[in-house]
Amino acid sequence: MTGPRPDQRWHRPWLAAVLAGATLAVLAVAAFGLPHGTGPLPQIARHAMRVALPRWGTTEVVSEVVYGSRGWDTFGETFLLLAAVVAVSLLARGRESRSEYVGEASAGRTEQHETDPDERADGEESEARAAEHGEEDSEQPPAEDADDDPLGEPAPERAIGMTVLVRVGARVAAPIQTVAAVYLAAWGYTPGGGFPAGAALAGVAILLYAALGHRAVRTVVRPSVLEPLELLGAAAIIAVGAVGMIRGSSFGQNWLPLAPQQTIRAGGTLQLFSAAELIEVATGLTIAIFALLGMRHEWTPDEGSDDEGQS
Amino acid sequence: MIVANYLAAAVLFCLGLACVLGRRNLVKIVMGLSLMESSTYLLLVSLAYRNKATAPVLADRPSHTSERDLVHGNVSDPVLQNFCITAVVIGVAVTAVFLTVVVRVAQHYRSTDADDIRELRG
Repeated sequence: MTGPRPDQRWHRPWLAAVLAGATLAVLAVAAFGLPHGTGPLPQIARHAMRVALPRWGTTEVVSEVVYGSRGWDTFGETFLLLAAVVAVSLLARGRESRSEYVGEASAGRTEQHETDPDERADGEESEARAAEHGEEDSEQPPAEDADDDPLGEPAPERAIGMTVLVRVGARVAAPIQTVAAVYLAAWGYTPGGGFPAGAALAGVAILLYAALGHRAVRTVVRPSVLEPLELLGAAAIIAVGAVGMIRGSSFGQNWLPLAPQQTIRAGGTLQLFSAAELIEVATGLTIAIFALLGMRHEWTPDEGSDDEGQS
Repeated sequence: MIVANYLAAAVLFCLGLACVLGRRNLVKIVMGLSLMESSTYLLLVSLAYRNKATAPVLADRPSHTSERDLVHGNVSDPVLQNFCITAVVIGVAVTAVFLTVVVRVAQHYRSTDADDIRELRG
């Protein structure tokens, strides 16, 4: 991988400036036509304010909109998140052996030879390949303790040697953040409930990974744990909605008795939806982030012919 | 002065647009897209604003307001705040997919310069 060439960082900057400037002018004119905080509340918002307490027993109207009035929209969005996580897992997955299917590089080489037999790797590619060979040669068995890893190696370090201060700080902060994240969803005071709570919970895994390295989190942060959990969250969301359809009249209707407001069970099925969303978002974000972090150095292989790397 | 927020959102959007249109580095293009997404969050939350209104929460309301006041519009718009939450989650998901594609492109082409990614060029 090479950095941007200094003289080509911008591609036709004048065109980008003209287009962005024109867009800005249009948006600025439109901005003055938007309501200046004086418009009446739309009908759907008034509806949400009206039904939040009687129908759901929740005082948090934004959560009522997320999981009640516009619950179907949230349902769809959940599965959009799931689709994105599947896409990331698929793209980040390690290369499989090509013993059965067509070897792309060798098939492409024949065609390349027919169209342009004289093409050789340019200087940049040779440099990249040389660096890659160097990386392969310098690979050593990983040290038992991540702190013993030498810094400044060409490959990504397994764990940054964080100081004891950072590690103690992370150990103290992690349980507090975990409790805070679950509290956000459980008591339903937070706009969105499970969404911010799930993001905060995913943050715990990332905090521990950043401070203590992969070994500290690998018992929990692994596909065999996270992927079933994420699908369990998705299944719970479907189940909560479907039971509403069976016991009530519509998908997502409340089917639990309403507890007194501002208690843990105040929202009826809204709280169940929120809890399932917490699992879904927390595991989804963690899977996506760790899939990205775990992407190996898989460069296009040379398949034996050293000449293209050396020319 | 909520117009200032709208204008800030517009400027943020156009900065992102300029980045996407003019930059060649794929990572910076993804950053530009994220900037454009952020501008929509600011716009949605600003649109939810109502003068002298409270948050759309039915508990612990200020002493000078009644529940009737809240229901009849003296609160910021909860639906637009919901849109903002939705937009944040979708933004995260889309950015994650983009970044994964960028890593794979970098590994395949050994470059993050959009100008080098031209194998599909007819």
